[in-house]
Amino acid sequence: MITLNINKKNYNVDVDPETPLLWVLRDVINLVGTKYGCGVAQCGACVVHLNGEAVRSCVTKVSRAVGQKVVTIEGLSEKNDHPLQKAWIELDVPQCGYCQSGQIMSAAALLRENKNPTEKDIDAAMAGNICRCGTYLRIRKAIQLAAEMQRKGIKIP
Amino acid sequence: MENAKTNYSRRSFLKSSALVGGGLMISFSSLAKLGLDDKVSGVDLPDQWYELTGYIKITPDNLIKILNPNPEFGQNVMTSLPMIVAEELEADWKNVVVEMGPHDNVKFGPQFTGGSNSVRMYWKLLREAGSAARHMLLEAAAQTWSVPVEELTTKAGMIYHEKSGKSGTYGSFASKASTIPIPKGPKLKDVKDFKVVRSSQKNVEGLKIVSGQPLFGLDYKHEGMLIAMIHHPPAFGMKLKSFDAAQTLKMPGIIDVFSQKLYEEGFELGGFDTRTFNDLLVVVGKTTWEVINARKKLVVEWEPAGDIKETVAGRDGKREVVVPGELENTSTQLAKMKEHANKPAQQLRKDGDPETAFKNAAQIIERTYTAPFLAHNCMEPMNFFAHVTDEKALLVGPLQAPGWTKPTLSKLLKLPADKIEIQMTRMGGGFGLRAYGHYLSEAALISKKIKAPVKLVYTREDDMTYGIYRPMYTATYRAALDANKNLIAFHVKGGGIPEHPIHANRFPAGAVDNYLAEGWQIPSNITIGAFRAPRSNFNAAAEQSFLDEIAEAMGKDPIDFRLELLKRAKENPVGENNDYNADRYAGVLKLVKEKSGWNKPENKKYSRGVASYFCHNSYAAHVVDMIKRDGQPYVERVFSAIDCGIVVNPDAATNMVEGAVVDGIGNALYGGLTHKDGAAVQNNFNRYRMIRFHEAPKKIDVHFVQNDLDPTGLGEPPFPPVFGAVANALYKNTGERFYEQPYNLQLNKTSRA
Amino acid sequence: MQHHSKFGKPSSLPVKTIAVLSVFLSVIILMSFTFKNGSKISNTKLEMMNKDSVESVKAFMDVYRVLMSPRCVNCHPAGDVPLQGDDSHLHLMAPQRGKDGKGINVMKCSNCHQPTNVAGLNMPPGDPNWHLPPANMKMVFEGRTPNQLARQLVNPKTNGNKTLQKLIEHADDGLVKAGWNPGEGRTVPPLSHEEFKKAWITWIRTGAYAPRP
Repeated sequence: MITLNINKKNYNVDVDPETPLLWVLRDVINLVGTKYGCGVAQCGACVVHLNGEAVRSCVTKVSRAVGQKVVTIEGLSEKNDHPLQKAWIELDVPQCGYCQSGQIMSAAALLRENKNPTEKDIDAAMAGNICRCGTYLRIRKAIQLAAEMQRKGIKIP
Repeated sequence: MENAKTNYSRRSFLKSSALVGGGLMISFSSLAKLGLDDKVSGVDLPDQWYELTGYIKITPDNLIKILNPNPEFGQNVMTSLPMIVAEELEADWKNVVVEMGPHDNVKFGPQFTGGSNSVRMYWKLLREAGSAARHMLLEAAAQTWSVPVEELTTKAGMIYHEKSGKSGTYGSFASKASTIPIPKGPKLKDVKDFKVVRSSQKNVEGLKIVSGQPLFGLDYKHEGMLIAMIHHPPAFGMKLKSFDAAQTLKMPGIIDVFSQKLYEEGFELGGFDTRTFNDLLVVVGKTTWEVINARKKLVVEWEPAGDIKETVAGRDGKREVVVPGELENTSTQLAKMKEHANKPAQQLRKDGDPETAFKNAAQIIERTYTAPFLAHNCMEPMNFFAHVTDEKALLVGPLQAPGWTKPTLSKLLKLPADKIEIQMTRMGGGFGLRAYGHYLSEAALISKKIKAPVKLVYTREDDMTYGIYRPMYTATYRAALDANKNLIAFHVKGGGIPEHPIHANRFPAGAVDNYLAEGWQIPSNITIGAFRAPRSNFNAAAEQSFLDEIAEAMGKDPIDFRLELLKRAKENPVGENNDYNADRYAGVLKLVKEKSGWNKPENKKYSRGVASYFCHNSYAAHVVDMIKRDGQPYVERVFSAIDCGIVVNPDAATNMVEGAVVDGIGNALYGGLTHKDGAAVQNNFNRYRMIRFHEAPKKIDVHFVQNDLDPTGLGEPPFPPVFGAVANALYKNTGERFYEQPYNLQLNKTSRA
Repeated sequence: MQHHSKFGKPSSLPVKTIAVLSVFLSVIILMSFTFKNGSKISNTKLEMMNKDSVESVKAFMDVYRVLMSPRCVNCHPAGDVPLQGDDSHLHLMAPQRGKDGKGINVMKCSNCHQPTNVAGLNMPPGDPNWHLPPANMKMVFEGRTPNQLARQLVNPKTNGNKTLQKLIEHADDGLVKAGWNPGEGRTVPPLSHEEFKKAWITWIRTGAYAPRP
């Protein structure tokens, strides 16, 4: 039995410790917001926060997450009101939407370290997240809008 | 008229939502509009819904539910189609709830996402549905108040009788209205009175997307659901010989391993039953990771498949097809195309006397273009849920055209069509791939065999290596100029593996006196199918690059040159069946010329490329502005002009054009799937290059031609001309013409030299 | 001198280049040892063999083949973005070197290259200490000629402040050895780690000569 702390909640799961965190989240704990896109850390659809770092859950062995704090898209904010979530809706970013939870989780890690990212900063930080529909321009704008909200005092959990 | 109270009671709703892991199955546009602090889960659904036409349900509390008939793969139909209903219904959009409709082609029409047809084919249907429901509500109010129906007006979900000062909500009349017969051919609004349509409305599923709620096929859960994967041959042209599953079966969580034919010999394939391999070697287990791991332990012998005979009953009627058994290589594919290009081909269109014109030409320009296979690479890999019993079948997942696959399922499962239920989830992309229903057939057969609910999952490697690809294409274009540099003849001869790309009646057909279009094809075992603007996505690259070269040879501005040809096509068209409207085509060119400041000196710093194209009933033109960044060409800015008639949801439409531009730049520069001994060389995103953030333009400036024409397609039309515009900008940027896709190959050669 | 001409165009430089370089190197060796925190030469394992420019250069050319293989050169790029794959293309997601060579915010190397990674085709290889050389000491391999690379490797100002002894020890560095455990679908360097280590040590112990430019 492995105990995981995900979105401030403890889960006991009976899985092979070598299993990627992604599949434990999706198949066992039933948190399916974290997406499977490539399985080899190339597309970013599976990004979660492990002690605040934007790790790719598809290559993260679940054993590595034991005793650590995992945050998924479902736990990014309590009321789905993270500035990034608000900005994403405000600018109507998604097309198919499949990659967006990974995009938002990557962006959240960026905003924590860089309160006022330039377009160049955003490109450098986000180039690991693929959007097949091509919503990159809107994501850039949404990250900057969220940064502005954040600076104006909307609290980030 | 159906019974008043529908089955969509709160209880059944909660039951179905529990199945998908606790998320709500319906979307509340109101949440996005009322404020972002609302909780997704905080909405209570009313018990009573009164149905007015198949698309509309209303509660006594005046909550209006609109069923979206068409599958959503990112083109925004979940929002834009209900907007059309709400417009004619005169509903208050913020009180509208949208739900994905069930699959029922009788009740909901074609239910097919593809060919940029969603809005186009539902425009009239949905307007009439909205209008009919409004008239039923008015009739109910007139009867209740005993006033003439003509004296009633509606606004934002309310009915008013000005004379008596009476008013009431739609909800208060819903029960009565649901008993009134649906009027035929109801009066539709004047487009000038539109309030919902033509105003930007936010994605009704936006909040669920950004909060990670279950929406997609891969997110779907069902009690007792198992996971299945197919182990496919390592190469096109191979098939299963034998396997040993002993090690696999010892792995944790594994339930079964078996092989099974997908279609029995002689099975008549529908036009969208295309599949790569017919022998399914299936591993079934409890969880995805367990199956992924156990599948690696299979010991399998493969053998050459040899030539295979197939019976296909597609749109062109029934025909026998021989699929060759060769293990193909990209180098030999290219060599074969080169060889075929010199052989006689099928004549597709001929105007005037092109042979003589070329003979008499003062100058002939001849250029050959090639493009590789492309993989769709939808972010959500292919998957489908199936639960098949002796009596019925339930299939749930992402697909573009349930109506095309159901007849196949019926034949395969030996169940009547009405015992097969297909539920459509949101799709993590489609781009044409999900029009092909083989993966439903696979899932259904697996479920039938193991007698359990099961989800078939393709890994990314599966998805990329046995796809239904964009074909490999080539085309040789020739132009004849006379001594005065007039274009006197135009010849295109296109071919491909395994189909040619030529649209013989498209521009510049109709604008040149002597015109010849020919096509040829080479059979192949590499499976191909629709890919965002099939054939057009190649033609617009080749033809639009070629027009750029002709303009240059004639000493003309590339936009002016196209406009001159279009003027000719309008005033004195050559031949018949020219399948474009020269005015509308010229319209987007003029608009993009104006908006991009085409000849303005301040834009001289950019290497500018222009291209335009007409496909899927809409017109698109782009100006691509390229710079050198770190020594490499980079598309910094794009101007787009689109004519797709009335734009239903402008901001979403703009998003779609931006996406098509990014997708076009990415595929033009990097896209390509090659083969070695029959195997796809690119098997994941570390080998298949996709456009990423730092490669996307800084700005895409989208403009729509303003007119009141019925809306036409938008998903595909903006995509093809991006390729041509990128090629033409590359020429300005590097001094070299680009003939082979992906263009990055040539850029790499140049930078290494 | 015959045997190393095959690695490049016959040099027009006189043979004394080697001699000059070897003098230069002995100065470096001397300096490194002098400044080595009070440790005595006898306490280190650096046992110099007889200086032999022919033997040394021969060994280095083996070293060079390894260092220029994708497994090594990919993380010693000329720019600030690592390379990827057996064809050493620019790492597609363009991760940045960052100050410490470990990437920047969202794009830290360790977000994908974790202490130990899941096995499988196309999986990124893992290592507890995955990184590029830091920004202030880039230790570029990409595009370096044998001469340039040899000089760079022995100079503490360009080799990460390593003494020759430290250089020898570096052959057993965890991340260096990870090159021979690259995960499914990637080629390993042209020599085994043992052969590489032998060539590496021979090169250094015989005088750390650089091939002719």
